[in-house]
Amino acid sequence: MSTLFALIVVLAILMTIVGGETGIRSFFSVLINTLLLILVAMLISWGINIALLTLIFIPLKLVTIIFLGTHDYTVAKNSFYSAFIVCLIISLFIWGCQYLAQAAGLGPEAGELLVGLSQMPGLSYPMIAITVAIFSTLGAIAEAAVAMSSGLLEIKKHNPNISEAELMASGTTIGNDVLGTAMNTILFGMFGSFLSLFLWYFRLHYTIGEVLNEKLFVNEALIIMYSLIGVILTVPLSSFMLSRGMGKKGSKHESRKSNAD
Amino acid sequence: MRFKWKRRYTVAIIVAIVGAILTVLSYFATDIYHKDDVAVITDSHIKDTLIEKSEDVYKNADETRQQTLHLKVLSGKHKGQTYTTKNVYYPSQLTTQKYRAGQRIFVNIKKGDPAIVNPKRDWVLVLVITVTLALMVAAVGKHSIALVVSMIISWVLFYLIIIWDVHLNGAHIILLFGLADIIFSFFSLLIVQGLNKKMLVTWLATLLGIFVSFALCYVIMKLTGESEMKYETGDYATQDPRGLFLAQTLIGILGAVMDEATDIVSSLYELIQTKKDITMKQLIHSGRTMGQEIMGPLINVLVLIFIAGALPETILYLRDNNTLASTFGFTLSLGATQSVISAIGIVITVIFATGCSLFFVKDRDWKSLFKKEGEKK
Repeated sequence: MSTLFALIVVLAILMTIVGGETGIRSFFSVLINTLLLILVAMLISWGINIALLTLIFIPLKLVTIIFLGTHDYTVAKNSFYSAFIVCLIISLFIWGCQYLAQAAGLGPEAGELLVGLSQMPGLSYPMIAITVAIFSTLGAIAEAAVAMSSGLLEIKKHNPNISEAELMASGTTIGNDVLGTAMNTILFGMFGSFLSLFLWYFRLHYTIGEVLNEKLFVNEALIIMYSLIGVILTVPLSSFMLSRGMGKKGSKHESRKSNAD
Repeated sequence: MRFKWKRRYTVAIIVAIVGAILTVLSYFATDIYHKDDVAVITDSHIKDTLIEKSEDVYKNADETRQQTLHLKVLSGKHKGQTYTTKNVYYPSQLTTQKYRAGQRIFVNIKKGDPAIVNPKRDWVLVLVITVTLALMVAAVGKHSIALVVSMIISWVLFYLIIIWDVHLNGAHIILLFGLADIIFSFFSLLIVQGLNKKMLVTWLATLLGIFVSFALCYVIMKLTGESEMKYETGDYATQDPRGLFLAQTLIGILGAVMDEATDIVSSLYELIQTKKDITMKQLIHSGRTMGQEIMGPLINVLVLIFIAGALPETILYLRDNNTLASTFGFTLSLGATQSVISAIGIVITVIFATGCSLFFVKDRDWKSLFKKEGEKK
């Protein structure tokens, strides 16, 4: 049995024990999400319009992450709307910044990777870079939206009479923590993903000036920033939407939730 | 809810203005670079000619194009001189670069012949950092200082760890990055939450989550003989690729586990604040519910980071008629393994974060809860 497969089996068991039914659904959400990414890669490699593919796959991936990953419909619906709006805004921003930064493609360091591979694939790598950046930020945005919505709903559940203003205040408190630590997820995820690249810069004695203008470094640093901007926009938007939604029809959701529990 | 103008919005505008000035300064800064010279493309319209249309062995149709660029050097000992040079590029821009009129670039001039190195990208970084900071101040106000300081400290610590690793030349890499996790998480949590009980509980949950899950995964890897682990496919390996992979996993998982532990612990803490008479059982139930909600999306964040980063290569492999299986082996399998190990860490952290949150309750209502715990066991 290969190591990867064994690890996946252990993950499935753990998610079932800890998460119950939601855990099983989360497991499939991760699996489908990964398969969707590979599907995107295949479709792009067949030469299908990249911008169109990206626009189609943003909501698809958000639905997979949010609706399959959470068991509460109110949390999921609220998170999806906030995350989708934020993703559209951030996509435009990414498109503009990637145009300015011109940091697409593989770095000159990737030389040995490219042996035997086409250097003229006839695909727009600037466009692929935009897609990669959007998909990298999408997870962080969805996660922030879910963390905000579920945190607020927990408070609401134990305190059904809480006012809209109090809920917004709690939202700010949770939002501060969510933002502070979403930053860590993104930053360390990137560190973990590109540790070898940083070691490469260091061992080959790149100057700081060179690193700050180097294609791959700029690309990574920009993705960290895009994700942060996405999370920052999500915090107020999702607490606003949730407190609004619950102010109007809070009692209805409460009864449905308690039945479900 | 009525919109109120808050002081932090004014501060955000000030940050934006200062950032805009810095962006312009970094765009025009030429003398800070010494290794390569900065030049500007003086053409208002670049002459761009088609050299040939080509089709490679994989039937990929592409073009070879040539730009004729007029450069004016802005820094270094060739300052003020003008050159004409040619830039060959393929429109797919995988490894080549198309330049734009009026753009600032780095050139390396040897014997009167300028070789183009890179576009000048530093100002874009400053611009995007400005937007991020301005939005952050507008959203969370004073709290952003802590966030920024925490981020800077993370980068500095990361830099120090890299120096240390190079110094040790990759030896004891698991020990080094395990230690790095302990230090990183302490400082990050300290800055964001301050030194209090909540922070210490979060720290404990984070460390338990990371090390227990890493040990579990390490045992599984050993038991399965690390089969089909293609460490050699790791990019930019300058030292033992296996150690590098383990180090990347240890550092990559940290943020997510810290994120999750903070989310669960601080939400449960909020809950205890708003509802003082909460029982242990209710708290465990709430923690588990939160964990269930959070773990799926959080695992997806890391999957997207680890796998989306490999997409450009994956697309290239697939484009060149490699099978899906061999493409996966070459470009995705390490990222996928890293994702799964991180996912296991995230799931295990739900248990530890909820468990550690019980500390808060005990303190508040020791006697009755002690009984409750007795009943449970």
